[in-house]
Amino acid sequence: MKVLGLETSCDETSVSILENGEIKSNLISSQDFHSDFGGVVPELSSRAHLQILLPLIKRALKQGNISLNEIDLVCATAGPGLIGALLVGLTFAKGLSFSLQKPFVPVNHIEGHIYSGFLMNEKPEFPFLCLVVSGGHTLLLIVKSDDEIIQLGKTLDDAVGEAFDKISKLLGLGYPGGPAIQDVANKNISSKLIEFPIAQCKREFDFSFSGLKTAVLRFIHTEYQNIQNISKEDIALIAASFQKTAVLALTRIVEKAIKKFPVNSISLVGGVAANELLRYELIEVSKKYKKKLVIPNLEYCGDNAAMIAYRGLRLHQNGNKFSLDYKAFPGLKANSFTFID
Amino acid sequence: MQFPFVKSGLNLADMKKIASSFADVLSNGDIILLNGDLGSGKTTFIKFICEWFDISFAASPSFAIVNEYQSECKIYHFDFYRVKKVEELYDIGFAEYLNENEAIFFIEWAKLFPEILPKKVYNVEIKMTNDYLRTIRIDKNEK
Repeated sequence: MKVLGLETSCDETSVSILENGEIKSNLISSQDFHSDFGGVVPELSSRAHLQILLPLIKRALKQGNISLNEIDLVCATAGPGLIGALLVGLTFAKGLSFSLQKPFVPVNHIEGHIYSGFLMNEKPEFPFLCLVVSGGHTLLLIVKSDDEIIQLGKTLDDAVGEAFDKISKLLGLGYPGGPAIQDVANKNISSKLIEFPIAQCKREFDFSFSGLKTAVLRFIHTEYQNIQNISKEDIALIAASFQKTAVLALTRIVEKAIKKFPVNSISLVGGVAANELLRYELIEVSKKYKKKLVIPNLEYCGDNAAMIAYRGLRLHQNGNKFSLDYKAFPGLKANSFTFID
Repeated sequence: MQFPFVKSGLNLADMKKIASSFADVLSNGDIILLNGDLGSGKTTFIKFICEWFDISFAASPSFAIVNEYQSECKIYHFDFYRVKKVEELYDIGFAEYLNENEAIFFIEWAKLFPEILPKKVYNVEIKMTNDYLRTIRIDKNEK
């Protein structure tokens, strides 16, 4: 079975083709789109998706050595995301599905991330604990089966990736903040890190990163008054201390969840899964509790269409059918996943 | 609540009370601009207002640019923080969003793109006086 997946929920335009569950191509605009496609492309734009999508689909088909008529299933992200951006991929997929007379599957972006671990050779085993960490999301879930995903907790304010971005900007380290903070933190030579607070939320599996951001901000203000007064060594120390605290805030809740719920494996997904310290700490946790840990390769951590195609394929194989009037859902739903109380 | 509303020395509980009395005067079509430094509590203030409207899951839209919440009323929660050019706002359909009558709009970091904003708005300015205390000023611009 040949599956086409489209992802246009936020900044990235991505197109992927799977054949019998194997990735034939996975193109991502920020890496694979070049100016020879024509025009200057704004960084955040529905029109950019519109310009990029068709050439990217053609290239993906060519790379996978597959003709459009061979596609058996068309999948696209339906939400959450920016409505204008979502509509580009979703409407394209519907049109293509109609013209090819092949089924269409709308996919939840977060569920795509959750299933990105299945793109690896070593796959997660149900039930598994899944930590979704990105610029826009921070969620902890238990995935019992393809159609039973339970949300244990989420961020009450800033996503962890957003905290990295904001602290990075604060320290003058640039965007995206994840790799920037990590690089500088690796240069830290001080063995004694600054102790920033970890938020304690009312519900035990929720996260909060707004307070950490403010604590770092106040620390800089109190100790240095101004960013220009901070030495390179101290910038590295602050970056390392922040990174350590943010990672611990995640892993301590993962550990708490492992103790409470019977799971067979752990999966770390989303853009922040690229963070080396987070990977290291979760490897330690997985060893301690003797659980299999699945972290996708870097190209499947950030937004990508392979995960959308894969999740769509699973939904289709399980007999789910979707009509062409399925609507995009931009909003964070209160009830995307089953909650636990 | 009378405008301009100004109060200082506010802790988190005070901010929640003010958010409730402010939420009470809001109705569909209202546009609320929020400005204040990183960490001053713009998102927190909006979260409190959302709670008053029975929306418990409001969170920062810095990455998403806009979050949509729906309960008894619809709320659009914008954040201009990572927007680089005003064209990007036109392109995501900012004007179309504002044309929706049956919703309330919050815009964090509004001062980054004043040219795209209507005149009839509430202006909320939050300042940090120290780690725990805030000053808030709310103005109502009629024209």
